[in-house]
Amino acid sequence: MKKNGSSAFRVELYKGRHRHLLLVPLGFFLVLALWSGYSHRNLDAYDLSCGYSRLFYQLPLLNCVLMPIMLSVIASRLCDMEIKGGTLKLLYTLEKKSSFYDLKFLHEFLYAMVFILGEGICIPVFGQLFHFTEPLSFSLLLRHVLCLALAAFPALCLQHILSLMVESQIAPLFVGLSGSFLGLFSCFFPHNISRLILWGYFAAFLPYGLDYDHESRISAFYPVEFPAVTFLLFTVFSLAFYIICRRIFLNKEV
Amino acid sequence: METVIQTTSLTKQYQGNKVVSELDLSVPAGSIYGFLGPNGAGKSTTMKMILGLVKPSEGRISVLGKPVNQKNRLAILQNTGSLIEAPAYYGHLSGRENLHLVASLKQVEEKQIDHVLRIVHMENAQHKKVSRYSLGMKQRLGLAAALLGYPKILLLDEPTNGLDPAGIQEIRELICTLPKEYGMTVLVSSHLLAEIDQMATHVGIINHGCLIFQDKLSVLHEHSRSRIFLRTTDDERALLVLKEGKLPVVLEHDMNNIRKLYVNTGKEEDILRAGRLLFSNDLGILHLAEEQKNLEDIFLDLVGRRTNA
Repeated sequence: MKKNGSSAFRVELYKGRHRHLLLVPLGFFLVLALWSGYSHRNLDAYDLSCGYSRLFYQLPLLNCVLMPIMLSVIASRLCDMEIKGGTLKLLYTLEKKSSFYDLKFLHEFLYAMVFILGEGICIPVFGQLFHFTEPLSFSLLLRHVLCLALAAFPALCLQHILSLMVESQIAPLFVGLSGSFLGLFSCFFPHNISRLILWGYFAAFLPYGLDYDHESRISAFYPVEFPAVTFLLFTVFSLAFYIICRRIFLNKEV
Repeated sequence: METVIQTTSLTKQYQGNKVVSELDLSVPAGSIYGFLGPNGAGKSTTMKMILGLVKPSEGRISVLGKPVNQKNRLAILQNTGSLIEAPAYYGHLSGRENLHLVASLKQVEEKQIDHVLRIVHMENAQHKKVSRYSLGMKQRLGLAAALLGYPKILLLDEPTNGLDPAGIQEIRELICTLPKEYGMTVLVSSHLLAEIDQMATHVGIINHGCLIFQDKLSVLHEHSRSRIFLRTTDDERALLVLKEGKLPVVLEHDMNNIRKLYVNTGKEEDILRAGRLLFSNDLGILHLAEEQKNLEDIFLDLVGRRTNA
């Protein structure tokens, strides 16, 4: 039964009908925009001169809170329909198990990308809206989007396999919620420990650090060199993690 | 008769426990093969192995003359439709949308959807969300999905589960028409003998993972022919006398482990001859009765015999 990938993916997208799945990333994006926008009101000249630096520092921290929950909701919404309807027995007679796993993941990742790209667009829009005087570095913008997508990848892998392997979606949602707390707290853990927390990577590639002077009570952002080795290792880990999760899933009989 | 499904020493083991043991299933083309067995006998596992959903621990499977492996599994399954355990469905989609999805995956024409909906009498409910369907309607939808593409082989695992008596009758009649109208071979499992009796042409009985009977249904029916129960003044000697007289006589143990003498015949001349032989050997007949084994008895007999063994 030769089926090309695009037709199988169209079938996968068709399953999402009437589920209003786009509302999930859009809803989370709205929360992010409102939260971020609210914190950017009443900026003085100094704040405006480092508007983008502030944004590049603030958004990853917000992502630590929002992304794990959003990813768990997306994965749960898309996998639950298969679990509830007991469709795996039927699907595996019509398509490869691996193809089903990959396309479902791709479907989930597309919704995650709606949020990620929305956030990428949001940055220059905020700059215009709040009249930042700092010039926007497009390389930093690209780095931000890329790092966010990379951090989302293994977190979604975990949610994907959990949502497909367990009957009740409460467990994956709980993992997502816990990831949100852990991710945020990991920012305040020692570096060596925070690197062990999967969800902490949403804030692991911050392009700016924050230097707070207690005497003058002035906070200043300073550029942080891109952690190329960490990025590379995390990329390798993410791919290996995907392969391991996929293998676990493929070995499970229905 | 050509065989469309053939398993050889098919075995499935879970943590040392054999749920299917050296199964040699042989499903002839154009037949309705009733796969009969009590709950937990290994019917669903066998069907899942045929469909490649469960990996066999040992043994071989051949479908339409081709050995099934992971590489050619989907190509071979293109000619099969299945309904395993409970019907598969997307509750948030309508019945028609569910069928559209399956049709896309099977790469069959959209117009077939209308036809299969007509076959299962679901035209009026096709636009309703499946989550609002009754179990019976879901079962019919599952059957409609299995029929898409008019496959050569249909594997139906307890297809009448959850249906009301009228629905059971309807599905049964539908299954009976499939070989003639569409040239399909149907492998249908059930734990109800009466159900299989009403639609199958061939039957396989499985118990504790072992195939204990496999043949035409008519052969199974032959076991139900009447026989004569005899109680004599000396059953042991009567057995020898009747055996010498070339009569089909057996001494069996009943459920209470009491030995009973049976002459496996319903012919009057044999009964007359048995009587004469017994009298001529000074053996008195204390009790003589005709017994007819029904299929239920045969099934329980087969299942019980293997269990005791």
